[in-house]
Amino acid sequence: MRGLHVYILLVVAALALVFADRLSSYWMHVAIIAMFYGILASSWSLLAGYVGLFSLAHMAFASIGGYTSALLVQWTGIPIPLGMATGIAVCCALGGGIGWVCLRMSGPYLAIFTLGFAEIVRIALASEDDITAGMAGLHVERLFQTTSRLPYLYTAFALLAVSLLLMGAIVRSRWGLFLRAIREDEQAASASGVAVARFRILAFAIASGFAGLAGGFYGHYIGILTPSLGGLDLMALLVVMAVIGGMERLPTAVGGAFALEVLLEVLRGYGQWRLPLFGILLLLTMRFARNGLLTPLWLQFVRLGESRAELAAAARDVPQKEPGL
Amino acid sequence: MSRGEELIRGAGLVKRFGGIVANDAVEFVVREGDLVGLIGPNGSGKTTLINVLTGHLAPDGGAVVVRGRPMHDRPAHVYAGMGVARTFQLTQLFGRMTVLENLLVPGLTRPGSTWQAVVRRARDTLAFLNLAHLEDLHARNLSGGQQKLLELGRCLMLEPAVLFLDEPFAGVHPRLRDELIMRIQELHQGGRTFVVVDHDMESILRISQRLVVMARGRKIADGPPAEVRTDQTVLAAYAGL
Repeated sequence: MRGLHVYILLVVAALALVFADRLSSYWMHVAIIAMFYGILASSWSLLAGYVGLFSLAHMAFASIGGYTSALLVQWTGIPIPLGMATGIAVCCALGGGIGWVCLRMSGPYLAIFTLGFAEIVRIALASEDDITAGMAGLHVERLFQTTSRLPYLYTAFALLAVSLLLMGAIVRSRWGLFLRAIREDEQAASASGVAVARFRILAFAIASGFAGLAGGFYGHYIGILTPSLGGLDLMALLVVMAVIGGMERLPTAVGGAFALEVLLEVLRGYGQWRLPLFGILLLLTMRFARNGLLTPLWLQFVRLGESRAELAAAARDVPQKEPGL
Repeated sequence: MSRGEELIRGAGLVKRFGGIVANDAVEFVVREGDLVGLIGPNGSGKTTLINVLTGHLAPDGGAVVVRGRPMHDRPAHVYAGMGVARTFQLTQLFGRMTVLENLLVPGLTRPGSTWQAVVRRARDTLAFLNLAHLEDLHARNLSGGQQKLLELGRCLMLEPAVLFLDEPFAGVHPRLRDELIMRIQELHQGGRTFVVVDHDMESILRISQRLVVMARGRKIADGPPAEVRTDQTVLAAYAGL
């Protein structure tokens, strides 16, 4: 039975949602933050894993999305979803702009450039006290006027699911093929008729938009935003999540985000020593499992329920039509 | 020499790299139905000429005209869209994509292409190149000769008007080289236009109807192979005189 993994995922998700109210407030918060990182890790993997653009500005875009929405809601009184949508649009535009400026950059040059951009954003947010409240933190109107975390959990789940569906549709379409071709060899992609510049800009814009979505939600959930959201330490954590999970597949990047967020909480007793542990985990992953620790497990999982004949067929599997949404 | 429609023209092409003039006022015309062999000693500017004629390098002087359209500063994918396909001196495939996916990429860039039709055509192309049994392998796992064949297949998926093959026989097993030559000849008989660059003179002379010779960035001969082979300037260039 092909596609069994999809049914299993749907059942697990449905059960998780039905029984979500049994979680303590603390673990509900952990789950919400894990899903926040899930959106960020998967969208970063769209950029770094699928297109090969190793950007270090992803958390900066989350920060921009968060601050844009928060300030717009505060100043103009527009509904929060509209503020978040504006944050996404701003991030898409800025991301596209960064993509355009970086057209001829790759590898370490791109990483350093985007790191510079992220620092500019962080320092600007920290310095403009009058507007952003600087390091004291900007108070943000919350999405729901309730003390319960349950509505936020459902919202985070919905946002993650929609993000994954949209990104999944992109990577399974001809755009996805073109993006991977660009990752493999830009010159050959160009010789094959792929508009490399256009797709690089598009990838930056799309990934930054999802980062803006995550940042907007985060601000309106936590109720306070500080410039440290776009800092290098959180960016490093995001990279570790995606790389350890497996950055060339969206579900494994999300799995990495979930696993590390839970580990962060479970190992809280070890204080700052948790972080070197993740560093060691990252080193081991890069040395022994460059496709990520979760990728082999995911590949086994998607083949669940397939007979030997179906497995052989799957090995030859190419979609007979362009997969849609 | 062929009298078909002019597909691509390089007029007075100049390309410099620092103080080195790689192409020096080169005139180069390819007409429909041509099978041109482009030869010359190392460093004579053959690959640079291909790079300029396919949009991968912008010329410092002169102009490239494709089917009557000046291509000033147009990126390489526009050339590909107009039917100018090329392979690379060192094979450049999408290594971590499957053999079939390598062919889907150019096929799906064609306007109005549908997924099913492109998959079908890619499989036909793989069958034509004797690579059908390898369609699920990652391209990087193919042998050198198979990679050259796949690169040719990738060009064919563009439904090209002209194919520039840069050293297609280099480092290829003789059996696969013969297969490659057979495929090029078949395609040419089917109406395709080729420009083939290589150092393998035997192969080039086997297939070419017209031979263009370059030396020190200049075109020094252009004509039927029998004439060019006896040209004193060509002999001098190859002897290093």
